[in-house]
Amino acid sequence: MAEQQIQTQPQSAEHTMARPQRWAQPFDSNMTDQDVDRLLSESQLKDIDGEKFPKHIPLGGILKNDTRIAKFTPGEIVVREGDYGNSAFLVLSGRLRVVLSPSLPRDSIGRSEENTRSLFGAFSQLWTSNWLPETRDTSKYSLDELMVGGSNESARVVLQDIPTILDKHNTGAIETGALFGELAALGRIPRTATIFADEDAELLEIRWQGLRELRAYNSEWKRMIDERYRETALAAHLLESEEFGHLDDDQIKDVADRCIFETYGSFDWYTSFQRLRSQGKSDEPVIARQGDYPDGLLMVRAGFARQTVKHGNGIKTINYLGAGNNFGLHPLYNAWKNPDASEDLALGSGLSALGYVDVVRVPASVLAEYVFPNIEPPVNTIEAASQKTVAEDALLEWAVDERFINGRQTMVIDLNSCVRCDDCVRACANGHDGNPRFRRHGKIVDNWMVANACMHCADPVCMIGCPTGAIHRSMSGGMVVINDDTCIGCGTCANSCPYENISLVQIADKQGMPVVDEATHRPIMKATKCDLCSDQLGGPACVRACPHDALKRVDFREFAH
Amino acid sequence: MTKNISILSIFGVIALIVVGYNAQKMDLNLQNSSVLTGYTLIAVMLCVALLNTRKKLSMIPLGKASSWVVFHVVGGLLCVGLFWVHTNTFWPRGLYEGFLAGAFYLVSLSGIFGYLIQRLNSRKLTETGIEVIYERIPLELREIQEKAEEYIRECTEATGSDVLANHYLNTMVWYFQKPRFYWSTLFGAGNAKVWFRSEGASVKRYLSSEELDYFQHLEELVELKMLVDTHFVHQNLNKKWLLLHVPLSVGLVIMALWHLLLVEVYAL
Repeated sequence: MAEQQIQTQPQSAEHTMARPQRWAQPFDSNMTDQDVDRLLSESQLKDIDGEKFPKHIPLGGILKNDTRIAKFTPGEIVVREGDYGNSAFLVLSGRLRVVLSPSLPRDSIGRSEENTRSLFGAFSQLWTSNWLPETRDTSKYSLDELMVGGSNESARVVLQDIPTILDKHNTGAIETGALFGELAALGRIPRTATIFADEDAELLEIRWQGLRELRAYNSEWKRMIDERYRETALAAHLLESEEFGHLDDDQIKDVADRCIFETYGSFDWYTSFQRLRSQGKSDEPVIARQGDYPDGLLMVRAGFARQTVKHGNGIKTINYLGAGNNFGLHPLYNAWKNPDASEDLALGSGLSALGYVDVVRVPASVLAEYVFPNIEPPVNTIEAASQKTVAEDALLEWAVDERFINGRQTMVIDLNSCVRCDDCVRACANGHDGNPRFRRHGKIVDNWMVANACMHCADPVCMIGCPTGAIHRSMSGGMVVINDDTCIGCGTCANSCPYENISLVQIADKQGMPVVDEATHRPIMKATKCDLCSDQLGGPACVRACPHDALKRVDFREFAH
Repeated sequence: MTKNISILSIFGVIALIVVGYNAQKMDLNLQNSSVLTGYTLIAVMLCVALLNTRKKLSMIPLGKASSWVVFHVVGGLLCVGLFWVHTNTFWPRGLYEGFLAGAFYLVSLSGIFGYLIQRLNSRKLTETGIEVIYERIPLELREIQEKAEEYIRECTEATGSDVLANHYLNTMVWYFQKPRFYWSTLFGAGNAKVWFRSEGASVKRYLSSEELDYFQHLEELVELKMLVDTHFVHQNLNKKWLLLHVPLSVGLVIMALWHLLLVEVYAL
């Protein structure tokens, strides 16, 4: 960012600056060409064919701008379980340890809180907030030490008493050459384990944008990442499940080897969702048809699926499945328990993909061997769900159609209680330098409005494609937030959000002068959205400000039911 | 919220009984109970008036605004009781006290009125099936009028007849220009529909089938405008009553403090 010089022109009605570019803010500004040359001689990277990379995204550029070399001393935590991180790590030298079970206590891993304002800091917003819209301190865009997403050096925590940890916790070694963290970086999911340095170690931290490019332009990295992605995810997923959690490592491996890994729908479903919706169409690939005979248990690993039953001339949504939910256990169990029974053992409901869904198909033979002998007869959930009236299911049907089921902190307003006073909007503006971060406007069903406020989705598709990683999960709470310092205003996130909850705004300097690109004089834009008042005291101001309790932030999984 | 108001009201009634009982006891002991009731009244009034400050300080964790509203409603009602206990009459003697009582009753009545209309208006707005932000209503109305005029132009060009255009200019443009039938819409009397049936649609018998198609579009726009007008009227009232209630409250607090000062200096 050093080359981005801020020029203030007091006589002009404009404020100019260099337009931020991809790699304008490298992951680590201390990375040098020598570092890149050194990395290219490392065994894990030397075989990558640089010629396969496009000219505008050269391999050297990726290594210089999307990676950084981090050194860890024994006991230093590299990643913490539960954190949302946007980086993967390649071990260049040294050995690390991953804590498998039980997890380390929260206080021992120094889980940091988001920086919230002090009481005085909150109060001082009364006079520090700017009366002019979307003003910024433009000098902050020129700081070299800005970090982009991912982990932060200053947040490092050192584990105390490592021998005791090794004694009390089941750990595994991660040796030189290993790659880890790619699952969380690419899958937009929290870290599943805590990893710390067992000895002096040197790691290459690759932010997810770089990882994405390496995967896209190098077949070996693609194969390695995909294979590891499947293997690691599958084993972990099976172990987390109710059905397979009791199995030992060998049995899990056996189950994993016999499972079929399936993917339905498009990874970038959000790009066509609104268009198809406006045309009254939907793109929901069928995973299982009602009436078919099941050949295995379907375990949803990521994404969402719609469970339906035929109703009249249409289909009725009775449930939706997300990560961790299973489909088809009941008929499979019946077939195993009563192989000669004459009752219909076909699927009583169908399953279709909502957007992108990862499914693990566990063959019936595996279930017969490892699961059915150890479980009580599963409950038939279809019967109870089917008995609900169409009217009772209307909200669920609508929420699934609109994909609001993705929301974890969705702003819903009870219009029967809302007096349209806009206190919520004013409260939001008061906490964001005078700029509201949502619109009291949105889709309505019955007396509920889903306002245009970031829903902090389970699958935040807005994070896909951000060239600088400015939009990221916060370290605590998992809120999706935008780092204004590193946002280049490209609009990728705003275009990706299927709910139109991200806005691009033209920024002004503290005097209210519009900030424009020094070369083209086109406005400098920044993406803005609800951050759930992550830096404010007391949580979302909109909820607290509603005088009639009409506004709520809800997890749509619970709300729709 | 109604439940919370009911629960807090019980405490309000208890508080009123305690103050009333002690005031009576003081009177029986030939003490001046007005000091107790007066100071209690002004203390509750000041606490109730803090709601507006709470709204301005939304960035500080001062509890949910809805809890404050519950306290505001119950505290306001308690003030009415305390006022009667304090004055021992419906209307006190003296010119200044008369003004003070008038302001007090106006604030109380406007508050009760505001609370009731807000509860009723929310449902009425929801029943329209559309949602319009108040500040955008002029823009929405302008868009509806522009669409109507577009249909009229198209109709004239397509049919070569100016019957509908003349009717629009002579009769209907009045309706599209701004919100109409304010009081009728407020009380749900449906005068807009009656007007459209009797005057707006009177042109139908002179229209060809092709022109009738355009008129049907116009009818749809009239129906949409009725909904937007409903939003305007009810949202307008939701905001306007505060213009009476809040300045009056400020005035009342100032007058009450002046009253307190006069009493402290000259009467006690």
